Amino acid sequence: MASKEEFQEQMKNGVVEYEEDTVREAAQGWLDGGYDPLEGIMDGLAAGMEIVGELYDKNEYFVPEVLMCADALYAGLAILRPHVPKKEDGINAQVVIGSIQGDVHDIGKNLVKMMFDVAGWDVHDLGRDVPLEKFVEEQLRTDSEVVAMSAMMTTTMLGMKKVIKMIKEKNPNVAIMLGGAPVTKDVANLFGADGYAESAGNAVSEGIKMIARLREMRNK
Amino acid sequence: MAELTPKERVMRMFNKEPVDTMPFFSGMGMVLMPAITQLGYQFAKVHTNAEMMAKAAVTTSEMFGFDSVVVPFDMTVESQAVGNEISLYEDSMDILYPTIPEKIWQTMDDVEFPDNIAEMGRVPMVCEAIRKAKELAPDRAIGSWVLGPFTMAGQLLELDLLLKGVFKQKKKVEEVLDKITDMLIKVSGAYKAAGADYMTLREMATGTDLISPKTWKEMIKPRVMRILESWESPKVLHICGATDLIIPMMNDCGADALSVDIKNNLTETREKVGDDVLVLGNFDVFALPCKEETTVEEAVAGIKTNIDGKVDAVWPGCDLWPDIKEDNMRAIVETVREYGKPASPAVGRL
Repeated sequence: MASKEEFQEQMKNGVVEYEEDTVREAAQGWLDGGYDPLEGIMDGLAAGMEIVGELYDKNEYFVPEVLMCADALYAGLAILRPHVPKKEDGINAQVVIGSIQGDVHDIGKNLVKMMFDVAGWDVHDLGRDVPLEKFVEEQLRTDSEVVAMSAMMTTTMLGMKKVIKMIKEKNPNVAIMLGGAPVTKDVANLFGADGYAESAGNAVSEGIKMIARLREMRNK
Repeated sequence: MAELTPKERVMRMFNKEPVDTMPFFSGMGMVLMPAITQLGYQFAKVHTNAEMMAKAAVTTSEMFGFDSVVVPFDMTVESQAVGNEISLYEDSMDILYPTIPEKIWQTMDDVEFPDNIAEMGRVPMVCEAIRKAKELAPDRAIGSWVLGPFTMAGQLLELDLLLKGVFKQKKKVEEVLDKITDMLIKVSGAYKAAGADYMTLREMATGTDLISPKTWKEMIKPRVMRILESWESPKVLHICGATDLIIPMMNDCGADALSVDIKNNLTETREKVGDDVLVLGNFDVFALPCKEETTVEEAVAGIKTNIDGKVDAVWPGCDLWPDIKEDNMRAIVETVREYGKPASPAVGRL
């Protein structure tokens, strides 16, 4: 039987090399070895995704590779996550996520969703082509800390401004993340958002930075 | 020296013949709300009626002094023609382009186009809109466009099927792209036959923020070349997003002009392709004409920067967002005419 470090490496490298079976077997081995499932998620799967983000930033990986890495990560997550006791993460946070009305593409949204899944958040996924007021209603219903919206075209991006205004009027403490090709830092600032990612791959690296920060906090 | 008509200006530019001043036009959607409002139309209605489509496009061009009239406006024509329902958002208070909310094809094996695709759905209506636009605006260049095969695939299937398939099912993806390419040749051929003066191929979702230069070379380039080969000149190739790494390959596809958006470094592009290639672009369609906070002076400065980037015509990096600030839009066009009087790299002046 492989050692703890070997399982961890297999999960990490399996995510990077998008080998779903390797990740699945290593995750099962990790559990069977009695190791902490949350540690496996963070130091195996998420650590692998962190490398994927770096490869994307260096133009070595592109969105097709990232999507396959995401599949590998989910294969491991499906095995490990059910064994993480609720609230052990110390996060216990919620996010409302969706692609805005007029936009039926959701690749970027799904990659960001993955990051929240990894981090153990409760994710309220509204899907795509979501009417503006639905974001506001869902945030109020769930009292989520974060609302994440994506738009792939300028033509839909402008709806985000309205959503942010509606949400911030009711609850100024909600953090808003925007994503999508037309969204720039300037636009995010202008609309009153708290964070942004400009493309699907970029969403991954932004999400990874967030997870990396969580990992750092955990390791302290 | 007599002023050229807008159509003469555009067609001469495509032939690299001297023009009076820099053209301002587009190969992508350029329909604006002031025109739609003046006509008493609703945005949601202009996509499904040839007369309304043509009048909205022509009135936009005339109101703001554009050199071109472009139809259609939305990206769902072909997908609707094969049987998908479209959302027109007729009840929405916002300006939303039609979309395909659910696709009938679930796998790549489902992709099959009828031979008479150019007679189906709204394709004949777009042809009719092209003919009407020519009648209404004989002195303006009439442009039309289709999406590239990879981008079109996203209107027909879930895009992640193709993106993942690039590695896992390469042959299958190539088969699908070939079928879509054949379909697009038929549809674009109908637009051209209806009288489009120039065509734009919008392979938008293939910048390097999505796929690698290697994938572009192997899977996108051959199909883009095949479509462009089927078109008579003038023909434009447009790609959104990150294009710096693939611009030399774009230049190798047989288009008469290359179109890029704001993520492209124009100076580098000009160095790579040389002064003899027509480069069109690339102003920010949100920041300059739409953004509430952008002053007329800032819009003018932005367009001057665009021209300083050595383009041969100022044209937007994407569809013009319909809800523009009129003063900014007019100032943008005036600036192009004035500041664009000196020759551009590939096009001299009369």
